[in-house]
Amino acid sequence: MARLLAIIRREYVQRVRTRFFLLATVLGPLLMLGFTVVPALIFQINAGGPTRVAVVDETGRMYERVREALLRAPEEESDAAGENADASARAPETRGAVGKTPVDFDFVVEQVAPAGRTPADVQRELNERVRRNELDAYVVLPPDVLQTGHAEYYARNLGDEFTAGQIKRRLSEAISEQRLLDRGVNLDFVHDSARAINLTTRRAGADGASGEARGSFGLAFGIGFFIYITILLYGQVILGAVVEEKATRLTELLFSSVHTNTLMLGKLIGVSLVALTQFTIWAVAFLLLMLYGASTLASSNIHLPAVAPSLVIYAGLFFLMGYFLYATIYLLLGAMVTTTQEGGQLSMPVVFMLAASLWLAVPVIRSPTSTFAQVVSLIPFSAPITMMARIVAEPPPMWQIVLSLGIGFGTVALLIWLAARVYRIGMLMYGKRASIPEMLRWARMK
Amino acid sequence: MSQSDATLVLDGVSKRFAEFVAVEDLSLQARRGRIFGLLGPNGAGKTTTLRMIVGITAPDTGRVAVFGQPMTPALRDRIGYLPEERGLYKKMKVGEQLRFFAELKGMDARAAERAIEHWLERMKLSDWKLKKTDELSKGMQQKVQFIAAVLHDPDLLILDEPFSGLDPVSVETLKTAVLDLQAAGKTIILSTHIMAQAEQLCADICVINRAHKVLGGSLREIKSSYGRNAIALRATGGDGVLHDAALVASVKQHSDEAEVLLADGADAQELLRRLVAAGAHISKFELIEPSLNDIFIEKVSAN
Repeated sequence: MARLLAIIRREYVQRVRTRFFLLATVLGPLLMLGFTVVPALIFQINAGGPTRVAVVDETGRMYERVREALLRAPEEESDAAGENADASARAPETRGAVGKTPVDFDFVVEQVAPAGRTPADVQRELNERVRRNELDAYVVLPPDVLQTGHAEYYARNLGDEFTAGQIKRRLSEAISEQRLLDRGVNLDFVHDSARAINLTTRRAGADGASGEARGSFGLAFGIGFFIYITILLYGQVILGAVVEEKATRLTELLFSSVHTNTLMLGKLIGVSLVALTQFTIWAVAFLLLMLYGASTLASSNIHLPAVAPSLVIYAGLFFLMGYFLYATIYLLLGAMVTTTQEGGQLSMPVVFMLAASLWLAVPVIRSPTSTFAQVVSLIPFSAPITMMARIVAEPPPMWQIVLSLGIGFGTVALLIWLAARVYRIGMLMYGKRASIPEMLRWARMK
Repeated sequence: MSQSDATLVLDGVSKRFAEFVAVEDLSLQARRGRIFGLLGPNGAGKTTTLRMIVGITAPDTGRVAVFGQPMTPALRDRIGYLPEERGLYKKMKVGEQLRFFAELKGMDARAAERAIEHWLERMKLSDWKLKKTDELSKGMQQKVQFIAAVLHDPDLLILDEPFSGLDPVSVETLKTAVLDLQAAGKTIILSTHIMAQAEQLCADICVINRAHKVLGGSLREIKSSYGRNAIALRATGGDGVLHDAALVASVKQHSDEAEVLLADGADAQELLRRLVAAGAHISKFELIEPSLNDIFIEKVSAN
């Protein structure tokens, strides 16, 4: 026991003390933030300023409606929650300046009156203006646009599908509104009637709080994702820890002092504690941030879903099982290979297996009582995620949960034992990488 | 020799890996307070034998007894092992590293600290205690490895090629330490293929070649059983006499003298008379024991 502690302590202290750990702890959340926020920011960049669009309205009565549609703020279009009075009251030309959402399309709209010229003349003049960069694009609405639904869009840059798509969408709205108006339909009524319904989800036969099911599906998926992230971050570290003594040629000295099982277990626990430390630091930092922003959170409409305590316990158990399962696979990989590079190649299938078990959660949540769901929630490699999905969707019988956990933790123990054997025999005999058949043969050896 | 003072007994031990026979029917005994040399060319089975003694691998057949008992985890703590393949944690400080090895041998913190201080001092490494291992020279690292093997005051110390790659000064430091441990009653198994070192240190030897024991026993007895049939000769003239096959088996020319091995049944006095009669001018004529090196080469190449 004292020796196990010594190994755990060494693995832990040696890793936590490094500059790399400090950097990863500080930079980890920043990087994650970077990956989510930076792309969004980059997509918003509209390097060229607002798009200048001319409208050739050959119907003679569509321009106002089109202009309004083009200048309307995007969220008001999709979320017709009765704020249209607002939108129509707003001065259309100032739309670009007061736009609330960052991702939007700024348009500067102007009307081009034929003023006695032929359509061909008008078009020639507009083409000229586009060439002189006074204009980015123009739209031609033929006289029969309301009947045929056919209009034309001319632009300098046809590669900009985002703008073309926006123009198409907004033109369609304008046309459709005009058609309704022509039939004498009140527009406010139209917007009002198009409002999306608000679906409240409740579990049948249960008096649980509304929204619980959705929130807890997030929980199941969240656990899966958390395992995934942890393994991505720490799988290689575990592998490296096992390979370390091979690289430093310390195996024999260790073999003569401790049992390989102790060594493997010590490494697994030591590295896991490092992960735990890092996550705790992140969690505390996050909580402090939350406390700091608590007043904002309270005043906002965000409510964290209510989660039953039993779910939290299950979540903890299945997370631990999933984590240790995949961690011990990396332990075994480390025992098989002689360098971390070799191990990196071998770990690809493991990452795939982990991702696959995340995908499996979807069919399972759809039909949680199917044979398929029952099978995959007992297979240890997919159980942590799929069994959690079943628990939140429709709780399975207790014996299945217990069986799943039993199989899972049993597999962990088996893998540790196997890793220890492969490590010992592989190192002593050949000092080379083990194939799977060799590994199985060694497992049976004395 | 009696069983009771034998720290280590191997009895008919064999070990094979798949088709390859590493050790075949090996028996030996190492006695308390003596240095036992396990000798053999590269690949003879020395390292496998040592691993079976330490309990890293188990023999297929035969028996290994340490301190009169079969190997157990508790007995491991009474053994110190310096493997031939050795390394250290590169990023750990020397002191930390030794403390870790001491813990693995079940030492308590205070005893470990005392032993570390003592041995670092002895190996003249005290100034390096707080340095990271990869700042040390190769020779210094080897001394740290030696300390790791002796730190827990083992009763049986197993050293696999302990002097390889060391400078002469470090070799002397280590040799003195080994001899002191022997004087303190420890049993030491020394595996080496450098015969001069074995000759200086070992009381008993066992030579193995291609998995088999080819020679064993007390070095003194082995040497005397080989008799004094070699002569160190420094002479000018009389060359014809040395070519007489009835008298001389072989002549090895060294820088300023020759080592003459007598033919079977030939008499050294007869050789001296013949040389004088042939008019040779003799400045040295000395009967010598065969060196362990000669015995080793003869045994191993005959096998």
